[in-house]
Amino acid sequence: MSDLVGAAIRAIAELNPRLNAVLRVNESAPAGTPIAIKDNIVTTDMPTTCGSRILPDFVSPFDATAVARLRGAGWSIVAKTNLDEFAMGSSTEHSAFGVTRNPWNLDCVAGGSSGGSAAAVAAGMVPAALGSETGGSVRQPAAFCGVVGLKPTYGRVSRNGLVAFASGLDQIGIVTRTVRQCAELLGVIAGRDPFDSTSSAAPVDEYAADVDAGVRGLRFGVVREAVEKLEGEVGANFDAALGVLRAGGATVEDASVPTIGYAIAIYYIVANAEASANLSRFDGVRYGHRARAATLKDLYFRSRGEGFGDEVKRRIMLGTFALSAGYYDSYYGRAQAVRERMRGDFAEAFRRFDYLLTPTTPEAAFRIGAKTGDPLSMYLSDIFTAPANLVGIPAIAVPSGFSRQRLPLSLQIMAPHFGERALFRAAGYFERETGYWRESPPPHITPPDRA
Amino acid sequence: MKITRHEAKRIADLAHLAFDEPALDRMAAEMTKILTYIDQLAEVEVEANEGQASACPTPLRDDVITSRPADPARNAPEWDNGYFVVPKVIGE
Repeated sequence: MSDLVGAAIRAIAELNPRLNAVLRVNESAPAGTPIAIKDNIVTTDMPTTCGSRILPDFVSPFDATAVARLRGAGWSIVAKTNLDEFAMGSSTEHSAFGVTRNPWNLDCVAGGSSGGSAAAVAAGMVPAALGSETGGSVRQPAAFCGVVGLKPTYGRVSRNGLVAFASGLDQIGIVTRTVRQCAELLGVIAGRDPFDSTSSAAPVDEYAADVDAGVRGLRFGVVREAVEKLEGEVGANFDAALGVLRAGGATVEDASVPTIGYAIAIYYIVANAEASANLSRFDGVRYGHRARAATLKDLYFRSRGEGFGDEVKRRIMLGTFALSAGYYDSYYGRAQAVRERMRGDFAEAFRRFDYLLTPTTPEAAFRIGAKTGDPLSMYLSDIFTAPANLVGIPAIAVPSGFSRQRLPLSLQIMAPHFGERALFRAAGYFERETGYWRESPPPHITPPDRA
Repeated sequence: MKITRHEAKRIADLAHLAFDEPALDRMAAEMTKILTYIDQLAEVEVEANEGQASACPTPLRDDVITSRPADPARNAPEWDNGYFVVPKVIGE
């Protein structure tokens, strides 16, 4: 076992009792650069639970393509990370295996659904982790934990081996401490895969090539409709971030995406409709939890009733409703139509601008329990992140400072489809100028040998 | 959009989910609140056929078996001699 892998395993053993970021450690992980994988991405050497009681002991017969590519490039899979059940949530409070705590303040959530991956990187357990995105599930927890989070273009990374939530939105994402690490990792996992027909054949770029190139002459658009109601410290922090870009010679002007405010409404129809179909495979027959039942119909109802948590059931119900006779056109059809309109609005904005900007989240990490009684308020945590998933573009969350309570804040940069290299250029400049990546969570949570 | 308990029960049956009565009432109330928020989509004027077709055609591959060998028995709740075992189906 290499020193790096041993150090990661020791750091997890020391810190995980406080954070609950990791669900499983591979004590016999091979030598390599350690990385943690969200537990809805399958691995042959550890179980995959999806944070659910319905998959208590599932071990995949194959590695996800992204995992196989990591192994081939010398990365060592040391741990599987906590998540909201089936990646449905924005706080990792919906995990069947308990909440993940925020390394910056243990009373706060780490965000979600990739909260375990973000907390593990922020606390220095591992230098990098994979997460997954359907509406912001990498960027939002990266923002809450003060680390870098990337959602690639839809189709840039193979979804083979990512347990399907909403297949038309899902994308494997990356959490790291620095922009350069993130760019280098994307180069490893990106690319066409015959096992995912939606993976793109577009050539894999030299993603880190322009990280040091600066932003002089680049055009940034501030999405006016998203930021006009911003107030308080998130608003002030965002304004300061715009100043950093201007100081580097970029132009920063108002952009308009008139439909952006409908993102959450569209998202909770489209994503849940797809989820209701995708999760029908969990029925107690071929894998996962099986309830005691006298008839096959009973077996389905009871296995799913016992195995799924409340949030997953809520989303299956909403999705089933949106696809049901009499409501399909007025809900699913309309949501797809407004989504199409939003795609057009983004394309129009990208004619004038190289990038579009918002804060990553409308607030810093909230306290554990603050939103669990009100699903809609939880959903609105993703108001700035969900649009990129709906239109398929890449977006990155990069640390932009701290709130008065010393909780991380984050800038979101969006680029046109397959514009990841340009995204890393802008994020790399911002990171270098601000230096927030050097900040660490309080010493009681950070191991002394954090690199 | 108001979801009644009766409507929630209809959807739960379609979704193959079992709920007890209090959980069904809670679900109906939560769905009502969420769908009321979603109803703002009705404000947007859209064309009749907008959103019906994607800009990118769905990629297709030749219909040949490319899956890898797996051992379905390994994760099966109940397995017998090459088959998944389930309760009686006929006569339900």
